[in-house]
Amino acid sequence: MIRYLLAAFGCFLSATAIFAQANATIPDPDPEIERKTFIVPEGFEVTLYAADPLLAKPIQMNFDPQGRLWVASSEVYPQIKPGQKANDKIIILEDTNGDGKADKTTVFADGLLIPTGVAPGDGGAYVANSTELVHLKASKPGEKADQSRVVLSGFGTEDTHHILHTFRWGPEGCLYMNQSIYIHSHLETPHGVKRLNGGGIWRYRPETMQLDVLAKGFVNTWGHEVDAWGQSFATDGAYGEGINHVLPGAYYVTAVGATKIWKGLNTGSPKHCGLEIVNGRHLPDDWQGDMITNDFRGHRVCRFKLSEDGTSYTSREMTEVIKSNHPAFRPIDVKMGPDGAIYIADWYNPIIQHGEVDFRDPRRDHVHGRIWRVTAKGRPLVKKPDLVGATTPELLERLKDPELWTRSQAKQVLKERGAKEVIPALDAWIAKLDRANAEYEHLVLEAMWTYLNVGVADEKGQWLKPARELLRQLETAKDYRARAVAARIHATTHPTAPEAADVLTTLATDDHPRVRMEAIRGLAEFPQTPNVLDKVLQAMNKPVDRALDYELWLTVRELEPVWMPKFRAGEDVFKGNVKGMTFTMQALGNASAALPLLQLVKAGKIPKDREAAAWELIAQTGGQDEIGQALAFATQPGLPPATVSPVLDAIESSARDRKIRPMDKYITPAFKSIVSPSPLTVYRSRLAGLWKVESERPSLELLATAKEFGPAEQRAAFDGLLSMGGEPTKKFILNAATAGPDDTRKLAIIALSGIDQTTAATFAAAWLAKAKATDDVSDVFAAFLNRKGGSPILAKALEGKSLPPDVAKVGLRTLRSSVQDAKPLQEALTKAGNLTAPKTEVTPEELKAYVNEVALKGDAKRGELVYRRKEATCLACHAIAGAGGQVGPDMTSIGASAQVDYLVESIFNPNKAVKEGYNAIKVTTNSGKVIVGIKTREAEGKLTLRTIEDKEITIADKDIDEKSASRSMMPDGLADQFTRQEFVDLVRFLSELGKQGPYAPSKARVVRRWQQFEPTLENMNQLRRGRAALAAETPDAFTWSSVYSMVNGEFPKSDMPKLTVWNGSAPISLLRAQLDVTTAGPVKLKINNAKGLTLYVGSTPVAVKEEMILDLKVGLQNLTFGVDYDNRVDGLRVELDDVPGSPVKVAIVNGK
Amino acid sequence: MRVLFLLGILCFGPAAWCSAAPFEFQPADRVVLVGGTLIEREQRHGYWEAALTAKFPDLKFRNLGWSGDTVFGDSRRRFEVTDENIGRRRLVELALAEKPTVLLICYGTNESYEGMAGLKKFIAGYERLLDELAPSKARVILISPPPLEAFGAIVTDPAPQNKNLALYRDAIKELAAKRGAYFADLFAELGEGTNKTAKLTDNGLHFGDTGYRDTTGPFLKSLGLDPAGGYSATLDPLRQIILEKNELYFHRWRPQNETYLFGFRKHEQGKNGKEIAEFDPLIAAKEADIGKLLKK
Repeated sequence: MIRYLLAAFGCFLSATAIFAQANATIPDPDPEIERKTFIVPEGFEVTLYAADPLLAKPIQMNFDPQGRLWVASSEVYPQIKPGQKANDKIIILEDTNGDGKADKTTVFADGLLIPTGVAPGDGGAYVANSTELVHLKASKPGEKADQSRVVLSGFGTEDTHHILHTFRWGPEGCLYMNQSIYIHSHLETPHGVKRLNGGGIWRYRPETMQLDVLAKGFVNTWGHEVDAWGQSFATDGAYGEGINHVLPGAYYVTAVGATKIWKGLNTGSPKHCGLEIVNGRHLPDDWQGDMITNDFRGHRVCRFKLSEDGTSYTSREMTEVIKSNHPAFRPIDVKMGPDGAIYIADWYNPIIQHGEVDFRDPRRDHVHGRIWRVTAKGRPLVKKPDLVGATTPELLERLKDPELWTRSQAKQVLKERGAKEVIPALDAWIAKLDRANAEYEHLVLEAMWTYLNVGVADEKGQWLKPARELLRQLETAKDYRARAVAARIHATTHPTAPEAADVLTTLATDDHPRVRMEAIRGLAEFPQTPNVLDKVLQAMNKPVDRALDYELWLTVRELEPVWMPKFRAGEDVFKGNVKGMTFTMQALGNASAALPLLQLVKAGKIPKDREAAAWELIAQTGGQDEIGQALAFATQPGLPPATVSPVLDAIESSARDRKIRPMDKYITPAFKSIVSPSPLTVYRSRLAGLWKVESERPSLELLATAKEFGPAEQRAAFDGLLSMGGEPTKKFILNAATAGPDDTRKLAIIALSGIDQTTAATFAAAWLAKAKATDDVSDVFAAFLNRKGGSPILAKALEGKSLPPDVAKVGLRTLRSSVQDAKPLQEALTKAGNLTAPKTEVTPEELKAYVNEVALKGDAKRGELVYRRKEATCLACHAIAGAGGQVGPDMTSIGASAQVDYLVESIFNPNKAVKEGYNAIKVTTNSGKVIVGIKTREAEGKLTLRTIEDKEITIADKDIDEKSASRSMMPDGLADQFTRQEFVDLVRFLSELGKQGPYAPSKARVVRRWQQFEPTLENMNQLRRGRAALAAETPDAFTWSSVYSMVNGEFPKSDMPKLTVWNGSAPISLLRAQLDVTTAGPVKLKINNAKGLTLYVGSTPVAVKEEMILDLKVGLQNLTFGVDYDNRVDGLRVELDDVPGSPVKVAIVNGK
Repeated sequence: MRVLFLLGILCFGPAAWCSAAPFEFQPADRVVLVGGTLIEREQRHGYWEAALTAKFPDLKFRNLGWSGDTVFGDSRRRFEVTDENIGRRRLVELALAEKPTVLLICYGTNESYEGMAGLKKFIAGYERLLDELAPSKARVILISPPPLEAFGAIVTDPAPQNKNLALYRDAIKELAAKRGAYFADLFAELGEGTNKTAKLTDNGLHFGDTGYRDTTGPFLKSLGLDPAGGYSATLDPLRQIILEKNELYFHRWRPQNETYLFGFRKHEQGKNGKEIAEFDPLIAAKEADIGKLLKK
């Protein structure tokens, strides 16, 4: 142990460094100790392939055709020190005697700066070296590289775990490379400058130097693999959606400029690194095609099973490949090897990341690293093929091998042999293929890919005939996967086949949605195709699933610059396709769409169920007349308020942001049709103000002071009066703030803060001094906090005043949830309420004491109960396994990635270290409003923030006065509410999350987010008027709130609200789970205990059994459980399971 | 006027290389290099800088090239992707902080893809950049972008782009004349795109190691200096120290992890930002080494 320390840090350790080391948890680096912690499925074993000192800190690895393993490794990470020599390496590991252990290391290159990707190829290796992609080559085989060529430069380095990474050769010979969220890259190619701001996957063809972007977004796409049919999949190390099917051109989470994103296949899953597809003879049949990726936080190597689901897939987590509780086991890359075994790169480090933990934290390991090898016991290994020594015809025969490894490496060798050598042999090989072979179409694809590797075109850029013939076979193949990849090849090969656009047009009407998806994305590459929009929209003539719908949305938008000018000029670009036109206009969602949509609505051509959505869009973007007609639609009698509210919201936004006021001929009848009390009165009040309809003033004044309609109506009336403005408003509000009932005065004071903050603050201070500490008192504080300059004014007014302590506490709570650092107000409230200031700093001694106590006295079981307390507010913002609030990061594996000291400090002082993507932004609008939240989108001149209430607010760029970085959304002082033991228990619970044991991530498909029927007066009254079954039959008529299962999947009975419908009747609870079904079919439901349960599937009652089969329809399905409160002891745990042979594709809805 | 006059006199002289009046470097000039990939990659090869240093031993160089950059500073926007001014402002701020006495600027490669349609915007952008750099009072050299080389039909036909580049070259020349800047016509020195095969570039567009070496002569010539055999291997020891200095300076002005050191996450790891200033003495030491070597 001591020797290790010295080796790691040299002999110049300062006294403080030694001290820190002594307190850190650095495990014994013996690989065997680590290996013994591995739990693997029955029939598998893990052996050590290579370990330090053969290698240190592996980041990425890839095999070459000789079966040698190339590893990019960095000891400099996370940041070069001044004076330090950048001396990171690419090493080659080799198992020369075939015993499954590397016995030879060659340093291929050194002098590198944090190389994060390596792909052997083209006679050397491509290496990601900070701002550059370089190709390194050794003039003498087997020796160190002595030639370096910059292939591309200008990659961003804003964050060293985001820099260019995850190199993969595609089967077609393109090099795929990924960059993460903070990176901005600007690359010059002979075809022009390519820029990518934010994350994404690059595709580069070295021969033609074509560079483009396969998909944009993600946070840290540290895994990417292409399957046997050319579909791409990715994993992400910072956002938890498991396996992502990469749709061409799609925007994923965080994509810069995106207005709509496509999601991963396993929401609520932990974060992952690396991706490989299981295949080959060595591994068992039931693992074939499964995807392996690493949960490096939770020390797990995970496995997912995918199944086809129309355009895309569904994915399910299976038993792990490796589970461990070793704190330094950090699996970060995974590759199939030449022998058919699974190889796993282990970064070996107790510390991950460098945003939250200091660059120079002495616990960082810079010297160790392992490669593990997973084999199936008793199954023969694949004989390592000799590819480099094989003749060209022998290599081509290798394309029939079942191992993806062999096929892709064979293509690499063929590529290096060149077209002249390969093409004649390839043509001969194709001619001999047996058309009756079940694999025939796949072999044609392998041949096509080989052509793409060696070149499909002659020197003049003309396609070679046999290559074109191969592609034609794929276009017309029986297997839709072959047709889909044919479309992709047409879309992405340069130079393109001459009639590519025609072929894509035909494929856009294919029976299979994935083929249509690929075809329309292909057409987007040929924008000059005549009638291109019409051709794309033909894809809608057969059933459209969600992934195809997304790609259609993307494609019609991308093509807008082509068809919109023609459309404006009166050309019939839609060829009378009303459905296509409606879709396009809604996809566009901008001003150009309003008028054409209006014409469609008027002509009665839009289906009834899409009409409100059309009007909403018209109201969002239309002018005076269009808005007027939307108002007429929304206020016509008989339409349910839920249908028309979005339209009225859009009208209101247009009035507020775009100052659009319809003509009086629309306003007068519309207002007349809204009679109080009505859910629509609030709109009338606010719109009357925004449109300055003076004739409405008397009724607004009446409503503002009329308590009987409720505070929402009163508030809307005050809002209306405020917008109407003028002396009469000021007079009225001042008056109402001075005299009258308390509640009305409060609303008047809030309104006054919009006219005269100083006067309002004086009133507020006096009002607060006598207020009761109810929740809605926070509105008064919020009125000042949410206005520019408001909080110091209120602080000043509170000087020398005394407030009831609880009122002051509500004030502080409001201040915390405003996510602002408002020191003067914080001090004023603390003083006025005679409170003590919250503790936000922890001394090193206190921290040490906490860390010890958590280890010795912390109880995770009790801690979970603390975590679940409503007052603790943890659940409101943080999800576990995807279920829970979405404001803060998911906690699924926090314990496995974060150190205890970090957890303690983060609760006391959340602002000290903030997870990437969770930095809040403070926006002040031109009208002086302050909004704080996390950016969810920024595109098309609008910024969308997710606020601490988990609401999305969109602000137009032109309305933004100031934008600045704000603090962490997590409030300070949360720790103050806990006793010391509670706090220690809570931290212990968090520190166990994700570690092996009862709090490990689970692959079980358990309902974790429940919707609970709230025992509100209104809900109960409605229920009493009907029956309990109404909750299942007309669920939207009630309000439901989200509650969450324990980590073990059970929703405890003690957390269920007790509803007594009638006096004396047996108490019940109503809980609802939601299933999202994309393909219909039967599914098994496993319930922990059927006693005292009733169940409605949709509105149909079904008998409850502990194992039962449900036949599910496509769409969102509610499972509503009635719990006979007195006759049930257990909580409720519901799990989904398979019915053999069932086609069903279903996901449990989680989230907030 | 003065330029034309000098040109007239000097070209009657005996030097065969003479094509224009030389740019007159002064002792202790601080040369700041600005541009896109061409300039950025020079720092990792160092041939041009070594050749100039050998001729004018007191010069100091600071390379602020950034791949893909334009006169609008497009590559320097970082997170502020929608702010059209921020990249240029960052460039100007950095350049002025280096107190240059000579600004050697090469833009146009990336802008020229827009052809005639983008020319006016390009020149207006160039003017604005030069206006904002004017407080430095530095003498300005505007270099025309090099031509594209033919690199096989499968990559791209260079002819249309070379037409664009010629157009932009002419406009840069005009701009230089208008502003009294020195115009270095690298485009002309490298054959205006008439080379039938790729000799200098790795991809038709960018020089590799031999490319920078072999263009040292034409580069010097474009500055009106004696190319005399271009780069000589005797300069290798000097070039080696220059490369080390350039690497240190790169870590100084464009460090990795900028988000944490100086950006919006500096409240987390900004404490490590102080390390960056520690590069300054290391750079100074390398420059002292260069001085020592030249004195030998």
